[in-house]
Amino acid sequence: MPKKTEDRSERSRRDFLKLAVTAAPAAAAAAATGGEAEASVEAPSSLGMQKTEHVRKYLDSARF
Amino acid sequence: MTQVPHSQSAPRIVEEESARADFYEFMSGLLAHPPSDLLLNNIGSLDPAEGEIGSAIETLKRLAARADSQSASREFHDLFIGVGRGELMPFGSYYMTGFLNEKPLAKLRQDMMTLRIEREQNVYEPEDNIATLFEIMAGLIRGRFGEPASVAMQRDFFNRHVAPWAHHFFSDLETAKNSVLYAPIGTLGRLFMEIEREAFRMEGVPS
Repeated sequence: MPKKTEDRSERSRRDFLKLAVTAAPAAAAAAATGGEAEASVEAPSSLGMQKTEHVRKYLDSARF
Repeated sequence: MTQVPHSQSAPRIVEEESARADFYEFMSGLLAHPPSDLLLNNIGSLDPAEGEIGSAIETLKRLAARADSQSASREFHDLFIGVGRGELMPFGSYYMTGFLNEKPLAKLRQDMMTLRIEREQNVYEPEDNIATLFEIMAGLIRGRFGEPASVAMQRDFFNRHVAPWAHHFFSDLETAKNSVLYAPIGTLGRLFMEIEREAFRMEGVPS
């Protein structure tokens, strides 16, 4: 894997992301940490999947 | 790679990547369950930037200021739960095949095993829920399942399990009959998927 090319594409990816995501949703992140933080710290090695109540209700009704 | 001295709880990743993880988590939280009053309140105090994402956040902000957890929860119910079923089915398998629990879910479970990710024991829903997939993406970026995943690994997971349907799902969410608060959330998701697709394309690792 030619290192040089990777560096270049990595840089353009970073520049692109910087423009695209960094500015706006940095704020969104702040909003998200409201109640989510503890949940995600709980189980670092297994997926701390959020209990998606809608799915559970759906599955109950569909008897999966 | 293995010489990293016992890594701190949060492995170091660059700012752009952590912004992506933030965004995935933000969206995942909104899609897993209805927003709490606290979250709505926090959204109401956002300071949106310029551009398409900024204007979607602006709209979300305005709607969040008028919503409360009850109205949000009703909307969430109508969209995703419903009586029998909600207006939308936020599952990869459903979008890709027309049915729940089909081959895409089996493929996802296989890949999760390879990545050594498993769902918690008391969770029974299929893993191909959009909220779960976004949580996995955030986890891969942050290294919640070990080392932060390389961009190539993230891209492969994204291309197999997210890209084929998420954009379509978010477009549906944008225009769903029951979407009010969730309309700009759909817009945000759609725009974010476009950004991700474009950024992974730039990464330039041959597949």
